[in-house]
Amino acid sequence: MVGGEPRVRVWLPRALREYSGGEDTVELSGATLAKVIERLNARFPGLGYRLLDDQGRMRRYVLVFVNEDSVGDAGPDAVRLRDGDTVHIVPSVAGG
Amino acid sequence: MAEPKKGDTVVTVGTRKGVFLFVSRDRKSWTSRGPYFEGETVRHAILDPWDGKTIWAGVTSEHFGPIVARTRNLGGSWTTPKEGPRFPKESGITVTRIWQIQPGLDGELWAGVEPAGLFRSDDGATSWSSVAGLNDQPDRKEWPPGNGGLCLHTILPYPGQRKRMMIGISAAGLFGTNDGGVSWRKMNGGIRGFTPDKVLKDGEGGVTCPHKIVRDAKDPAVLYMQNHRGVYRRTRGDPAWTIIEKGLPVVNKKDPSSFGFPVIAHPYDRGTAFIVPMEGDFNRVVHKGAMAVFRTTDGGKRWERLSKGLPQKDAWFTVLRDAMRTDDSDPAGIYVGTTTGQLYYSRDGGDRWQLLADHLQPIQSVEAGTFGGR
Repeated sequence: MVGGEPRVRVWLPRALREYSGGEDTVELSGATLAKVIERLNARFPGLGYRLLDDQGRMRRYVLVFVNEDSVGDAGPDAVRLRDGDTVHIVPSVAGG
Repeated sequence: MAEPKKGDTVVTVGTRKGVFLFVSRDRKSWTSRGPYFEGETVRHAILDPWDGKTIWAGVTSEHFGPIVARTRNLGGSWTTPKEGPRFPKESGITVTRIWQIQPGLDGELWAGVEPAGLFRSDDGATSWSSVAGLNDQPDRKEWPPGNGGLCLHTILPYPGQRKRMMIGISAAGLFGTNDGGVSWRKMNGGIRGFTPDKVLKDGEGGVTCPHKIVRDAKDPAVLYMQNHRGVYRRTRGDPAWTIIEKGLPVVNKKDPSSFGFPVIAHPYDRGTAFIVPMEGDFNRVVHKGAMAVFRTTDGGKRWERLSKGLPQKDAWFTVLRDAMRTDDSDPAGIYVGTTTGQLYYSRDGGDRWQLLADHLQPIQSVEAGTFGGR
């Protein structure tokens, strides 16, 4: 816990690791998924655009799991995080 | 790999899985570069005709959103901006795909996107502004998507007249502006509708699917269009589009409209344009499995079939709307990409054809230009 905010670990998919200099995980603080994405974008500019659509929702084919549980259609503001949580960002299985 | 020199021909090929570049000094021997943006769809990539050096690529990640990237050294390195075009919050919609990139007359860049929208960038695709006069049309909720989606796929600035532009949307039709994009008028007059005997009128709503539109090389007021419901021509003062289908294959005598996707104009010969007819909207493959490009040299009064060197049996592919272009050499080169990954070209204005590349992914777009400009 840093400054009263939970500390979480975020796993990035391969397609987005160009933003993180090749790192597959990032540790940062944030009480909500929205805050975590905001801070990801501050650290790696452009990453926020890759995750959120024009309306601030998760992009349609981006899945988010918190500790193995899908957040489903919940908006990033509504996803509360706890200290030690692991956030997996996964492209949905689709396409050809 | 030899460094490109001024005067080299550069062909940019956008595919379902990345963009490829083909470079040649003599248009006989080619070197390939790429693929770039592996795994991602590039619906359009174009060598900027104004500097002959920058290649713009509309890269669509179906997962992570679309961007417009650029290279100034033929793919040696790419610049990817932090964001792509975005609709404003109040619109309630999200840009999902880049369909068209058009360098403008004053150094600006235009992008046509899905869902249908027009965007402008004045800083080399780093940031974009929504063209509200078009994107906020009051009836846009009624715009129907075409088979490929609700996309703005054609952007036609008017040479020498900066406030004029025409754009095409599948399947909301054609819109023109004379005031720099503040106001837009529907320009679908004369086009066959989708119900028997229906013919559209200018200024009216209605469903029509322009597949591609191009300006004549010598007279920008002359437009040629491949529509879902036929091939048309229009010029200044015309109250409506005119059907120009004489000499084109007729599949269904009850419905003689000629179906296809691309239309291009010769780079400098007045009245000369090219199309690739398909069987019809029920079967979007080249006519009878025999590939042919059709050419008019008299503004559409008559079309002639060109097939020398093109496959004449078992060719069951599609040529998509942006998959045919000319270069600006003399004689003109013409390049056609297929959905089965072949890139054919002609060095003599379409009389004879040969294969330039094979085994690519389904080809979404082809552009050709001269490195360093002409």
